[in-house]
Amino acid sequence: MTTPALAARGIVVRFGGLTAVDGVDLEIEDRALVGIIGPNGAGKTTFFNALSGLVTPASGRLFVGGVDLTRKPAHVFARAGVARTFQTPRVFADMTVEESVRFGLEFAGRRRRAERAALADVPAILDFLGLADCASLAAGAVTPARQRLLEIGMALATRPRILLLDEVAAGLTQTEVRSMARLVRRCRDELRLSVVWIEHAVAVLLDAVERVLVLHQGRALAEGAPAVVARNPEVVEAYLGDGAAEARS
Amino acid sequence: MPGRALGAVAGGALVAAALPWLLDDFLVSLALSCLMYIALATSWAMFSGATRYVSLGTSAFFGLGAYVSAWTVKAAPWPVVIVGGALVAAAFAGLAGLAILHLRGTYFAVLTFGMSELTRHAVTYGEKQYAGTVGRVLTAVPSNLTVYFTVLVIAIAAVGVAVAVRGSRFGLALIGIGADEQRAQTLGVPTRWVKVAGFALSAAFAGAAGAAMAVRWTYIDPMAVFNPFIGLQTVLIAIVGGPLSLTGPVVAALVFSLLAEFLRLQFPYAYLIALGLLLIVAVLYLPYGLAGLWRDRARDERAAAR
Repeated sequence: MTTPALAARGIVVRFGGLTAVDGVDLEIEDRALVGIIGPNGAGKTTFFNALSGLVTPASGRLFVGGVDLTRKPAHVFARAGVARTFQTPRVFADMTVEESVRFGLEFAGRRRRAERAALADVPAILDFLGLADCASLAAGAVTPARQRLLEIGMALATRPRILLLDEVAAGLTQTEVRSMARLVRRCRDELRLSVVWIEHAVAVLLDAVERVLVLHQGRALAEGAPAVVARNPEVVEAYLGDGAAEARS
Repeated sequence: MPGRALGAVAGGALVAAALPWLLDDFLVSLALSCLMYIALATSWAMFSGATRYVSLGTSAFFGLGAYVSAWTVKAAPWPVVIVGGALVAAAFAGLAGLAILHLRGTYFAVLTFGMSELTRHAVTYGEKQYAGTVGRVLTAVPSNLTVYFTVLVIAIAAVGVAVAVRGSRFGLALIGIGADEQRAQTLGVPTRWVKVAGFALSAAFAGAAGAAMAVRWTYIDPMAVFNPFIGLQTVLIAIVGGPLSLTGPVVAALVFSLLAEFLRLQFPYAYLIALGLLLIVAVLYLPYGLAGLWRDRARDERAAAR
């Protein structure tokens, strides 16, 4: 068996008395495309925060490319090839689009040049995202949809091996959501990344990914192929509701 | 642009170097005060302006440098005294930074202020306990001209280092921390070490300036060299001048040191009121300081020219 790109074992995250993530396991192989769904407060983003080193799990272990990074700070995860986006785009508002992308290339991406030749420089990344025409605009001044693309571009600039996308389609129009889904697939197919995608728009996500993990109250409720998971009665009960189940059939 | 910056620094330095031969003693001491605030405000902006960690700790670093100078000036060669002041201040800032740089905003500002007070009391206590005195009279000190040129060199070094940091990855990391610290960290910036290093580097200049200025006063006590006014005036100069610009703090240091001297002699209260009002206006309406106004105008002119 090959070493997974990312492995999380028994991750527990507590905030005071609240257990936000309660013993979740996840293995991401190279070039996998995995979705995470769950109702509000299921612990999805907190789980991402643990996977990217922003919060330290109370227990459990994290391996990136077989190396144990448990309890390491976030920049170590970035240097090991774990990149992430945030639900609300956190672009550097005072920098230009170009400078924002260059930032990642200067830090985590700097030592990872050899590993991701497709992400050679700023123009290559902006071209990939279709942002070349706004390279010199202030990052805070471009449209919200483009800020989401830029948010992904900043993550790609770290030349990652694993890309964690947190609700990148939230607040987009139907057309934009579809093109976002295509972009997510292209990150996997063309850039050969492992992609983990959290999304609230369940239908779009289930169409795009190959495997899905359902979180509910901090626990893994189900994991497997989207079609199977969507029919799992527990999942339907906890989260999808009748409407979503019908939408899938 | 780096060429122009270099030219401006070299030109300013030459003018400043000629002043002791051109002006009377009073005006030279004014120029000295300008140079001191250039060093303090520029080094403050290099860290606090970029990262938005507003530090009120300048007084602590300045005072520590002054006391290092008072303790060693008789025994050690002058350059060693200055470098010693810088190193002690930097080491202290590094240790303090490890403890408090995870706090943001008001908490960080208040703690750095508290740190200054703590340092002042600690030095007072130590002096009483071991030296049996609070103040120290400094005899056998370098000439006024030596002090002037020392502070000039410190100011040039502060501006030079600020320019170099601005163009470096270290400077980019500081800006990233100011823009969104967590985001910068997820993009690979070792934020903790960058902050501690930046804070210590910035403190080194305040320590060096304190070491040089101490001998100028001939009598120092903790109240005088850990004077919170020095730290507050530094913050004010940098914020009003433009915390993210290189020229803003330099120009503001010149203007405010001159204003401070003239107004403080003529209208002591009006001066403090004016300072307070300016700070409020700058914080509310000029987040990029007066340098921001200048930049906006240049941008408008470029846009109009298109």
